[in-house]
Amino acid sequence: MADGKPAEMESGGERKRKRGVEASSSSSSCSSSSAVAKWRTEGEQRNYSSKLIAALRRVRSATPSPAGSRAVREAADRALAVAARGRTRWSRAILLSSKIPSLKRSRVLLRRRATFRPKPVAAGRSSRPPALEKKTRVLGRLVPGCRKLPLPSLLEEVSDYIAALQMQVRAMSAIAQILSATSDTGGAPPPPPM
Amino acid sequence: MSGRGRRITDEEINELISKLQSMLPESRRRNAGRVSASKLLKETCSYIKSLHREVDGLSDRLAGLMDTMDSNSPQAEIVRGLLRS
Repeated sequence: MADGKPAEMESGGERKRKRGVEASSSSSSCSSSSAVAKWRTEGEQRNYSSKLIAALRRVRSATPSPAGSRAVREAADRALAVAARGRTRWSRAILLSSKIPSLKRSRVLLRRRATFRPKPVAAGRSSRPPALEKKTRVLGRLVPGCRKLPLPSLLEEVSDYIAALQMQVRAMSAIAQILSATSDTGGAPPPPPM
Repeated sequence: MSGRGRRITDEEINELISKLQSMLPESRRRNAGRVSASKLLKETCSYIKSLHREVDGLSDRLAGLMDTMDSNSPQAEIVRGLLRS
């Protein structure tokens, strides 16, 4: 009888972890793949959601005027960077940019200096075709703090960043759904089918 | 970073690229052959941009809904409880 019971209780959580394991089996760097898999776990999303809600309430109490979406976006990104626990470059870049506003100005200055600096082309390293170079640069601009990363490191950051963004979207959608449900029905929230 | 001291092989690049490929929502993983790196990078860029747009839209929505978070504290408790369960 005990054999007949399907392992449903396990498969729910296992499945999410299995996806991460499958991805890691093909990759040489196991640590980054398991980190990517972490973004897919419910625990991580729940943790992020509660941190985000706390941050939003702080924003709300700080600015009595209706909070702009920009403040929400920044709070969401900051919470996401914190959730990354400083393992990745993009998360550290976000935390640095939001900590001290004056840092932003020095970052701009640094950026200007960087563009004037002649780009060192290591012989034998620049085997990438120019079309890839350009796309690599565009991609590097999209991920915070990864502007000048070489392609292999950039790809690592990108896969982690994408997984984190996907979780951010899931979490924010769930929160929005819950909030809009409670506001519509006046306190009787329907069970969120996430 | 391990890649600093030695030359990055194309194999490693391809590994990373196929890993990235599996993350894009286009279910390219069914595609046995490799997508060209250039196309993949391009799709990755547009995917990240669309994710950013989605987050912006959600931020907009949340900003509008934030009144419900503090005006009714029992609702805030409900929200927290739901998230915890």
